[in-house]
Amino acid sequence: MKLSLVLAAIVMTLVVTSQAGTISGKVSGVAGESVVYVDAPAGKTFPAPTQQPVIDQKGLMFQPHILVVQQGTTVQFLNSDSVAHNVFWPSVGGNKKLTHNLGTWPKGEKRPFKFDNPGAVPLLCNVHPEMSGYVVVSPTPYFATTDKSGEYKIENVPDGSYTVTAWHEGAKNQSKPVSVAGDSKADFTLSK
Amino acid sequence: MDTRRRVYLCVGLTLTVILLTTSSSAIPAFSRQYGTSCATCHVDFPKLNDFGKAFKDAGFKFPKDDETFIKVPPVMLGSPAQSELWPHTIFPGTIPGLPPIGLRFNQFFEVTGKNANNFNSQLPGGTVGPYIPRTDFQPGFFSIFTAGNFGSDIAFWVDDDISVSGANANGTLGDAYLRFVNVSRFFKLPTDSLTVKVGQFELDLPFTQARGYDISPYDIYSQANIGAQNPAYPTQFVNNSFTLAGPGRGIEISGGHHYGGYRYAIAVVDQNTSGTPPTTYLNVPSGTGGSNGGVGYFSDSNFKDLYGRFAYRFNLERDPASRHEVQAAGATGPRDHTYLTLGSYYFYGRSVQRTSGLLSDGTTPTVLTAREPFYRVGGDFDFNYRKLDIYGLYMYGHDKDIVPYIPPGLEGPTGFISGNPATFSGGFIQADYMVYPWLMTIVRWDRVNSTADYLNGIGASASNPPPTPFFSPLSSVRNRFTPGAQFLIHANIKASFEYQIRPKQVVYEPGTNIQLVSPFRTNTATAALEFVY
Repeated sequence: MKLSLVLAAIVMTLVVTSQAGTISGKVSGVAGESVVYVDAPAGKTFPAPTQQPVIDQKGLMFQPHILVVQQGTTVQFLNSDSVAHNVFWPSVGGNKKLTHNLGTWPKGEKRPFKFDNPGAVPLLCNVHPEMSGYVVVSPTPYFATTDKSGEYKIENVPDGSYTVTAWHEGAKNQSKPVSVAGDSKADFTLSK
Repeated sequence: MDTRRRVYLCVGLTLTVILLTTSSSAIPAFSRQYGTSCATCHVDFPKLNDFGKAFKDAGFKFPKDDETFIKVPPVMLGSPAQSELWPHTIFPGTIPGLPPIGLRFNQFFEVTGKNANNFNSQLPGGTVGPYIPRTDFQPGFFSIFTAGNFGSDIAFWVDDDISVSGANANGTLGDAYLRFVNVSRFFKLPTDSLTVKVGQFELDLPFTQARGYDISPYDIYSQANIGAQNPAYPTQFVNNSFTLAGPGRGIEISGGHHYGGYRYAIAVVDQNTSGTPPTTYLNVPSGTGGSNGGVGYFSDSNFKDLYGRFAYRFNLERDPASRHEVQAAGATGPRDHTYLTLGSYYFYGRSVQRTSGLLSDGTTPTVLTAREPFYRVGGDFDFNYRKLDIYGLYMYGHDKDIVPYIPPGLEGPTGFISGNPATFSGGFIQADYMVYPWLMTIVRWDRVNSTADYLNGIGASASNPPPTPFFSPLSSVRNRFTPGAQFLIHANIKASFEYQIRPKQVVYEPGTNIQLVSPFRTNTATAALEFVY
């Protein structure tokens, strides 16, 4: 009995391992941080995470400059400056109908917003036009940011066929199909 | 003043109106130091928003937590702990981490009414008058300015026009001062209730001219009280070139804030109504030349002119939470408060007139000195609601006229008698509307009514031509209506346009009351491009 259970566990582990691969590669053509995420397969949804990451406005800057979240995530916007700020975005994923303005709130307070639509969200402040930040809303929990050399690695992606998108501030998005079966590779060359 | 001189004066004034824009502007050095856009402090540079006013009031620093915003740290001129050793060490200060230098250039294109040369109709026969072209490209100011804070709440500002109208070194020093901010803390007075400024500076006018944003200056600020000087002395003896637009040299104490509540300023400045540049006296000690002359002296006399201003800004914000903040918390972001500012100001000086005369014996030559008290007084308002800003100013100017008196039988004056005072009044009302954050529309009405204009023949009506051959508006006052628009191409590049509408004018034949030219307008369209960096 015990032996059969151990064997079953080993088999299950092998099965699971074989179904969860990785996508890795390099984003070139641009400097700085890029975001790579897996688009959702048709009809597939993912439960929204309960964690609420924070974007701070501090020293007249959005910190972090780029935040990647899964679709459905609530982001808290904090004002740590002693000057008035606001947060608004002109579009979500290029869709200008999704423009939104969070208004104004004092130092030390937060204002939440739930991002239900995928795509890049350019964050702006209407009194400090130099302020720039991004929330990149990934439709799946499978996303990663690049390191200094442009390398990225998305782990625990179930085997299957996907569309993977690379995003970089100021560059055109690039998407390509990727078949995941174990370790998969997808390199991107972005241009402005 | 003969006819030709008046024509040249007229043309000069016209060009001055066109060319006399602000002598300083936004401060790109602050953008570099704080890593922020011009829009942080300016609505439409150099017009300040509430935050910019607070930044200025604080001594060119962020009103709170300044150090957390500085992207280029200042250079320490001593450890802060050195302050504990004072007076046995130099009190520690700082200098900006970057040379806080900004540059500005502007240029103009103007179109003048085709009838502007009608002015030449009054010249004597055979005289060729100046020609006013219909269109003209004109280089404007190339200015350098530097400002910042030396720590310990000591702010500084220097701006200088390197060239004006394409002429090298033709510019002048604008403002140059040190400002000791919040000196009140040493006397345990309320915060910012006492600040001291020393140097050359624009008086704390209700609306700045030196850092104005219109192409043309406010007419009333440029109004001097210069009367005709009759050689026989029967009439006017006022020759006061003082204008509120000019900088004062001296010391100013002030308190309060431009962005809310009370605001006062009291200044003591050099008396200089002759308009003459500093005079050099060999072997007379001065601050710039030791005991051997130097640049010379700015004052015309021992008397120092006095200026005082008090204003109160009523905050009309409905949201009590943001009423006490520098900017209001609007539904879609911070914005300037809704407010109404009411203020008044008063300037008192003495215009010194010196003339050759005789002692009471009627024969011994001497220099007679008339000290003519003068004052400028007025009130102002400023109402701001969202994107609309309406403001205005009224001014009354009064110069006592002390006329040399020539006793019967003598060939020169031996003393003075009081004559009719020289007065003027007027002001302006302007409305600014921000159509977009990059587009501001402007409309302004300037009005000046001056006895000096009457004496110079500017103020007669069609039915009562002036006593001297000169042009005059049909009305008894000079009006100007100026619609305009300003476009921010970038936060530091601006294109401006003004159409200056002046009232109808008429030209009379020299020495007669015959009307030479039908009433005409001398309207001017001016476009400007300027950038700061």
